[in-house]
Formats: sequence, C-alpha cells, structure tokens
Amino acid sequence: MADVPAHAIQRRRLLDAMLTGLGAVALTAVVGAVLLMVGGHDPWMAATAMIRGSFGSGRTFVSITLVRSIPLILTGLAVAFAFRAGVWNIGAEGQLYAGAVAAVWMGLAGSGLPAWLLLPLVVLSALVAGAAWALVPTLMRLKLGVGEVITTILMNFVGIYVAGYMVHGPLQEARGVFPQTDPIAEAARLPMLLPGTRLHWGFGIAVLLVFALTVILRYSRFGFQLRAVGASPEAAAVSGRIDTGRVLLVSFLGSGAIAGLAGGVEVSGLTHALYEDLSPGWGYTAIAVALLAGLNPVGVVITGILFGALQAGAGAMQRDAGIPAAWVGVVEALVILAVLAIDKVRKMGAIVREDAG
Amino acid sequence: MTYADLVLFLEAAVRLGIPLALAALGETVSERSGVINIGLEGSIIGGALGGALGALTFESAGMGVGVGAAAGVGAALVFAAFAVALGADQIITGTAVTIGGLGMTGAIYQARFGATGTELSLPTLASVRIPLLADIPLVGSALFDQAITAYLAYLVAPAIWYFLFRTPYGLELRAVGEAPDAAQAAGIRVLAIRFLATLFGGFLAGVAGAHLALAHAGTFAENMSAGRGFIAIAVVVLGRWDPVLVLFAALFFGAASALQFFLQALGLDLAYQIFLALPYLLTLAALAGWVGRARAPAALALPWEAQR
Amino acid sequence: MSRILARLTGIERRFGPVVALNGADLELRGGEVHGVLGANGAGKSTLLNILGGMLRPDAGRVEIDGEEVALTSPRDAWACGIGLVHQHFTLVPTLTVLENLALGSRGPAAAPRTVRAQAERIMERTGLHIPLHPRVESLGVGDRQRIEILKALLRDPRVLVLDEPTAVLTPEEIEGLFGLLRDLAGEGRAVALVVHKIDEVMDVADRVTVLRSGRTVLSAGPAERSTGDFVRAMVGDDAVDPIALGLGEATEDVGEGPREPGEETGGSLAGSETRTVARVEAVTVEDARGPRVRDVTLEVAAGEVLGIAGVEGNGQRELALVLAGRMPVSRGSVRLPDAVGFISQDRSSEGLIADFDLRENVALALQRKAEYRRGPWLRWDRLEEAAETIRSRYDVTAPSIRTAAGSLSGGNQQRVVVGRELAMASQLLVAENPTRGLDIAASAFVHEELRRLVSQGVGVVLLSTDLDEILALSDRIFAIARGSLVEVAKEEWSREGVGAYMLGGTAEHG
Repeated sequence: MADVPAHAIQRRRLLDAMLTGLGAVALTAVVGAVLLMVGGHDPWMAATAMIRGSFGSGRTFVSITLVRSIPLILTGLAVAFAFRAGVWNIGAEGQLYAGAVAAVWMGLAGSGLPAWLLLPLVVLSALVAGAAWALVPTLMRLKLGVGEVITTILMNFVGIYVAGYMVHGPLQEARGVFPQTDPIAEAARLPMLLPGTRLHWGFGIAVLLVFALTVILRYSRFGFQLRAVGASPEAAAVSGRIDTGRVLLVSFLGSGAIAGLAGGVEVSGLTHALYEDLSPGWGYTAIAVALLAGLNPVGVVITGILFGALQAGAGAMQRDAGIPAAWVGVVEALVILAVLAIDKVRKMGAIVREDAG
Repeated sequence: MTYADLVLFLEAAVRLGIPLALAALGETVSERSGVINIGLEGSIIGGALGGALGALTFESAGMGVGVGAAAGVGAALVFAAFAVALGADQIITGTAVTIGGLGMTGAIYQARFGATGTELSLPTLASVRIPLLADIPLVGSALFDQAITAYLAYLVAPAIWYFLFRTPYGLELRAVGEAPDAAQAAGIRVLAIRFLATLFGGFLAGVAGAHLALAHAGTFAENMSAGRGFIAIAVVVLGRWDPVLVLFAALFFGAASALQFFLQALGLDLAYQIFLALPYLLTLAALAGWVGRARAPAALALPWEAQR
Repeated sequence: MSRILARLTGIERRFGPVVALNGADLELRGGEVHGVLGANGAGKSTLLNILGGMLRPDAGRVEIDGEEVALTSPRDAWACGIGLVHQHFTLVPTLTVLENLALGSRGPAAAPRTVRAQAERIMERTGLHIPLHPRVESLGVGDRQRIEILKALLRDPRVLVLDEPTAVLTPEEIEGLFGLLRDLAGEGRAVALVVHKIDEVMDVADRVTVLRSGRTVLSAGPAERSTGDFVRAMVGDDAVDPIALGLGEATEDVGEGPREPGEETGGSLAGSETRTVARVEAVTVEDARGPRVRDVTLEVAAGEVLGIAGVEGNGQRELALVLAGRMPVSRGSVRLPDAVGFISQDRSSEGLIADFDLRENVALALQRKAEYRRGPWLRWDRLEEAAETIRSRYDVTAPSIRTAAGSLSGGNQQRVVVGRELAMASQLLVAENPTRGLDIAASAFVHEELRRLVSQGVGVVLLSTDLDEILALSDRIFAIARGSLVEVAKEEWSREGVGAYMLGGTAEHG
C-alpha cells in the first residue's frame, strides 16, 4: 500500500494549535449537544456531570483527570513523534501492551532488587519492548515496502492477545483465579508525585519527555532531519542528503519506545499488575490527542489532559446523568473532525496559487 | 482428525471469511478510486447495529440487512464528506469515523437496551442450501449452505472484477485512483467517482456488519466488529486490489481464524489467545511474503482537489 | 481568409492573489497554425486551458463558431470540437495505451475495438505510430507525447490546441510534428500551439499572438513584423536575457548578445593549471527497467562549465544524481569533492520544503557542514545568518527568513535554491535545468550566478534540455542518448549539430 504523505497533516506552532483546539472544542460542544438531544439526553446535564467528574475539585482533577491523562499524553507523544517523521504509527496500542507486559515481567522477576536498580530496569524494559513491537512494521516498511498503517494495526491485535495470553498463562497470578498478574514488587512501583493523591511520577516522566522531545525537534540536527523527512522525504534526501531510511528507523522505534513507556508507566505507577483490558484504546485515542495538539509536544500535554478529563467525566456522566459512557467515543470523533474542518476552512482562507501561466 | 473435522473447519473458515470478504470487496472499489477508508470499522459496526435494530423493528432479518446497509452507507457518508469532499487526510478521518462509530453504536445500544445490555435475540438470516452444489464433497456444505449474504459475496466479487476491468466506468474509476489529474483532463469527475466508490464500500461493509449480527452471532454486542474493518483493509492488500483475489484472501483469513477449531481437533494444546493472534500473524507473514511485488493505486490516500 | 472557429475575448483569470490573465484575446481560424508566444508566467497555458475546458475564466467571452459557450469541463470542450494536448502529460502510467485512449469516452465509443480501429486509422493517416498494448509507464517521453496528440485527434477536433509540445522532443521530432500540424491545418482545422522558442514559432505559424502579463499585446503574421517586434512585445521594457528567450546566437540585435562559450571562464583559468574536481569512471546505473546510464566516464575540471544536453528520459536525471552524490552506481567508480552543490530540476518537490521557512530550507543543506553544528546540535545563530545573507545577496522577495518557502513565487524559490547550493559548492556544482519555469529576469540571474561561480574556480556540470542554454554557457558539451555520453566537437556546436547527437543515432560511438 502507498506510503502516506506526511505533509497532509498540519504541523502547527503552539499558539496556533491552541486556537485551532479551542475552535474544535467549541464546535464539538455544539454538535455534541445536538446529537445528545437527538439521543434523548439533556446536554446541559451531561456537561455539568462531566465537568464535575473531571474538574469538580482540585482532588478530582489531580487524582482522576491528571492520572487518566498520563497514558494519553505518553501515547500522544509517541504518535506525534512518528507523524512528525511521516511514519504512520497506528500501533501505539500494541506497543503499549508490549511495554506493559515487559514492565510487569521485570517488576515480578526483579523482586528483591533495590528500587534504584529495579525501577530504571522496569522503565527500560518497557521502552525496549515498545520499540521491539514497532520493529516488525519498521522492517516491513523499510525492507519490503509494506505500508505501516496496516502492519501496525495488525500488531495491535497481536499485542493485545499476547497480553491476554500472559495473564492467562505464564504470568497469571499465583492463585490462578483471575486473568491478571500478581502485584509487582514495591521497589518496581513509581513513587507518588504529589503525596496524598494518586498522581504518580508517570506524570513527571511525561512532562520531562515533552521537554526532551521539544528540545530534540527544535535544536538537534537529528530532530531537524526528522522534521525534514516528515515534511518532504524527497527534498530531505536530495537537498539535505539525509538518510531517510535511518531517520524512519530511529523515529519509528523511538515512537514505539514511547508508547511502550506508556504501558510500563501505567502498570508501574497505577495498576501495579497487568490486566487483560488494561487499555481502553489509548493507542487510538492518542491519534486524536496528537492531532488536536498539531503534533506539538507541549500541546500534547494540554490535549492529553483534555481527553483525560473527557474520560474521567464520562464515568460521572453515566453515574450521575445516566448517559452512556460510550458517548465519549462520539465526542472524540467530533473533536478530530472539527480539527479537520477548521484546518480546511483556514487553508481555503489562505490559499495562494502561483502556478499561473 | 476426521473427515467431519475437516468439513467443520471449512465451514468455519467460510463463515468467518464472509463478513471480511464483503467489507474487503467494497474497500477494493474505494481503494481502486484512491480512497483508503480506515473508517470501515465504523461502517461495519453501524451495519451490525442497524441490522439488529432493523430486524427487530420490522421482524425480518432481510429488512435488517437493508437497514444495516443503510447504516454502513451513513458512516461512509461522514467519511466521504471529510476525506473526499473536504480533502481531509484519509487516515485521520478514518480513525475518527471508527472511534465515533464504535462510540455511537455503543451509546445507542445502551440507551435502547440498558447499560449492561440484555442478551438480544434476533430474527436470523437462515441458511439457504443450494441443491446439488451443497452436496459437493468436503467443500459443498461450507460454501453452499450459507446465509444469503454469503452468496452476495460470491457474486459481487466477479461482478466488481467485470466492472473494474471491462467497463468504461471501471476504467474511469481506476484512472481516478492512479492519476486523478489525468482523469480530470479526460473529463472525468474525480470527486464524484471517489464519493460514490466510498459509499459503495460503506454499503458492503454495512451488509457485512448486518451479516455479523444476523447470520453469524444472532445478537448484537458492543464492539462486535472486533477490528474486522482493519482486517478487511489488510485483506485488500493481500488480494492485491483484485476483487477475485480479495475474495480468496478473505477466505484465507477466515481459514486462519478457523484453525483454532482445526488444531484443537488435532489435540494441539495451545493457548486460546495464540489461536486468536494466529490470523494476524499469518496475514503479516503473507503481506511480507508476496505483497512487496504488488502495487497500490498510485493516488491511494492522497487527497485531491480539482483545479477550476 | 477562412472563418473563425474559436474566439476568446477579454479573458480574465486569477489564482488567489496572482493575476494570470487580464484581458487576453485569441482568434483561431480554420486552416491556420497559430503560435502563442509569451514569457514564462505570461498566461499562455492558462489561456489554452480555458479554451480546453480545464479552467474557467473569471471574465470574458469564449465563442465557438460565433456562438458564446460556457466550457465547464473538458467534455464541454470536446463537444465543441476542441482538443487539448497538455503541457504536462495527462496519461495514466499504469494503464495501457489503448485504455488511455479510451479514457473519458462513454457508450459504444468506449469499446476497445472501436477505439483501436479509430486509433489505427489516425496513426495510418498521420504517421504517428505507437504500440497500443504496452502500459504507458514502459514508454519513453517521445511516445507519450505522441499518445497525447493521438488522444486529442481521436475526437476529431476542429480546433487542436497544443501546450508546449516540443519541450521533450529532439529537433528532428519537432520537424516531424510541425509537418503534421501543417497537414492538420491543411484539412481545415485550426491549430493553436504554445512553443517556448521564438524561432520555432516563426517556422511553423501562419499567425502569432503574443501575451504579456496576462494581456494580448500583439497578433500578426510572422512575415508582417520583424522578430525583434515580437520579442519586444513579449518582454516589454524588461531587461532581456536572450538565452531565456530561446534566441541563442541567432538575434544579436536584441539586448546584450550571449557570451562566447568559455569567454569569461577562460579568463579566470588563465595562469592556473586545470585541476580535476570530480571524476566518474565507467559508471553504469541500472534500475528495474534496465540500464539508465551506460558506461559513462567523465572528468570535471575546476573553473569549467561542462554542458550535458539530452532529451528528457535519456539518463541525464540519473547521471545528475550520481554526479551530485545522490545516487549509488551499479558499476564503476565515482570520485567527488566533499562539498557538492546540487540544483535539482524539481524545485518544488526536491529543492525546497514548502512548509519550512527560508531559514529551515537553507539549513536543509547547510546542516551537512561542520561549521553549522556543535555536537548533535544545530547552530541556528549561524544558520540564520546564512539565510539572511542569501536573502539579501540574492534579492529574495520575502518579508523575512521566517516566511514559508511555499508562499514564494517560483523565481524567488529558485533564488533560495541557487543561493543555498552555491554556498554548498566550494568545488563542484551540478545544475539540472536550472532555469526551467523561470521568467526572463530570473533566468538571467541564474546564468549570471553560474558564471560568477565558475570564475571563482568551481567546476559546474550543467544538464539541460534547453540547447540554447547549453550552447551559451558551456566550455565543453556532451550529449546523452539512451544513457550513453558522447562529446560534441566544437565544430558541431549548433542546435542541429548537438541535436543530432541527442538522437544517439548519428553519433560515431558504438
């Protein structure tokens, strides 16, 4: 299948991305309200329940919304990093599971090791497993010319089933009752970031990663080469003499590693064990998160928190207003479509053609 | 391993392959016109819920298929409005339609049948046994004792082939997918063709979803499409954008999925999840093995805008 | 005089803020070949595309047979008897020739048998012979051009419109085409064609219309006015680069004549011995379709312009990439200096990144140089300085170095590319059709810069399909045909002489 051109995506600076994001949120609110009304729900009730459940109090915000946003920010960064390089990694979901499996395995096998040693090992194994999960699609793209959109999606299914196999088989808890692993060693767990809340150091890791990626993309030679390959592989190869294959390899594996980290952080920071349905599709939502942020790492933090709030609020909406949580999927889709529509309108406004004559 | 086991295996292979075949055949047409619809999953799940609701409302499985097909077209309409008419990125639009389709069907289902979801019992599409053909040894009952939607897949594959390669309209559609600028210069309405091709893909995906609900499961469940939209896209690549090959590729995937029964019958004690992962791994291997030489439509996934 | 088949009056057309046509008129009569002249950007293609139904005018009248018509699609134009042969090929590469010919027809007319019979009849009559069953992608540019013409003739047009049909043809093929066009006109059709070169138009046309800045400024028979009049009509009071006008050495009366080949470079080399800056030996490049470059040996000396002429698709693309260090060779040895500048013919897809600003586009090449790096980091302070220097030194019309390259005009984009690659080329510059698509002023500028670079002792390889450019700038001239390279002796330095080598058949090699 064809390699998809990356320039189809609007790469945006932060302020620009935030304005588009605000517009998209407003558009989503209007269309979403109409759809809810058609569905027989009260949009006002839905909105208040949702906001109460996500931003209702400082405690709610930190312990629920921010905690929920961590895997979204990390997978969002993974997707943004890949898309920036023109790599269509739709496989964050599978890479996340690979990272979670590896982290849990390390957390179980390494019990007895001190935290200063075990914790880095847990994080490292998540990174390596995520990258390894991206390796098959990477090689198929580079060596065989098979497009990564399909192969990464296929690997997602394999990843989910491998995790399922692990919790039913080799890594199942000692009691052998539930499809889950035993809790990982204390020393393998990420400490809390804010004492008294559930916010763990995964958030700190996400913020540090945002900083690192921003600096790499903006100031390093590799980051520049990555952006060039993403914007135009031909120009990067011909005018920049950039080894596009190498850039694709590094960015694809890097993206996989970040997605793997998301899985590792989730089990090490929050669940402390592996479950079959660890992720409610974060790897796919990540595409919306990254896109809404204009593929800008700093923007990913903001949109990640927004989607975290959406998912946190969905529970409250179902509980308090009796509106099915599945509506969140509709809202996420509306956000993506709204961004696409706004991009289009803006492009039409700024269209410049000079191919006359 | 007995003859009866083999027959069971083949029956399962066809049963699992048919919904994929329907969705993939529709996708073949839209991809030939240059549109890759990752939102196919949304059309399939929409078709499944539409099929269930239609069958309940009209107390007829046949009407269910009709409503399911309409729901599939509806999801494809959203996709086409953005990805074709607005020229938005196809992968991103498709992702949105998939997420939205799964969410919307879940919401409608919960609103109608409660949050936990009562087990639905639907009027089902009865198997239609084709005399003589169904008596062919080994493959007869697998291929020719199926729901009516299965026969649709058998007929649609050669029909699409004829359309694509033997009619001027098929030629135009292929030209649009290969070189839209050249097609426009030849007086062809590129976007109209892409729009219609995408809707056709949604139509067959909707039928595939209705088949899942009405012939396969006999009920509706949230997320019951289970990634078949994505697999259908892989099947199109596997079938090299040739409708007849695509039909066989879908049956191949169905066979890979049915291997779980086959291997269990052989007494192989492998974990259930490994069987579930097997079709995906085999598809990956097949893609690696022989797709390298196949070529996608040159303009696939590229938004196009008319110059006027 | 025969009757008017098509008449366009007062045509206006804008693309965004760019005015392409601003009061253009064109009158086509049966039985005449009508040349349309104009500098790049004058609006020739836009005007013909409007007549062919590809574009709609913003204002103005289109009349066919005296009746006003609204051509909203190519189909409308066919219905009115207008056939358009496009400047860029509009063939579907993966379809067969026959399928391409049938494309767009409906009903019985689309049946393969009908199309084949009709195509064979036209081929018989016109002598345009093309195999019908191979896929278009397996054919060369010359064949593709013939298919385009055949495609237009298949609909039996009364008005045949050709947009730059000669760009990819050899001089001999051009003669053949012109003969055919005269025959077609002789049957009572009107033939309109855009040709880049004035003298070609003068050869074939019964009447010439000149566009300047989107406006028709002159319409006359070639015998009624002097060549100088047409040239002045084309360029107005602008500065004139005779090379860009395609006048070669022919018309010394216009502007400043071209330099004698080697005049300036010879001067700069005096006293210094010739130093080889690049050398390729017995180089062969093969791809899936077979050898593209065959056994080429070449040495480039410091301070010389080595011109390579060739019809597109004969391996000069691959040879350019090899000389620029951008393509591995299948066989043979390549010795290149560290710093090679490369002006790609494909400015918009290979030369620049439209989404990147000037700063980033300059950095795209300069990031290879050590002085713009510190460890893994780029030195943006220095890169910005370099970009600022290029912007002012090369007169790039852009508000700042933060302006996206995609929003610049073609000429300004080329200035950025030239400036950047000249900064890269301390020893060798490979320039591939460096003035393609540029207007006169921009072309003159590029030529000047190439000469300046050579005077500083840099070796320049100039690959061009434009023979006049090659003849005017080169110290040595080679022709490439089907991947083989032959040097053209000084005595044969003329369009006809070099053209013969480009065909490959008349050269004494092999």
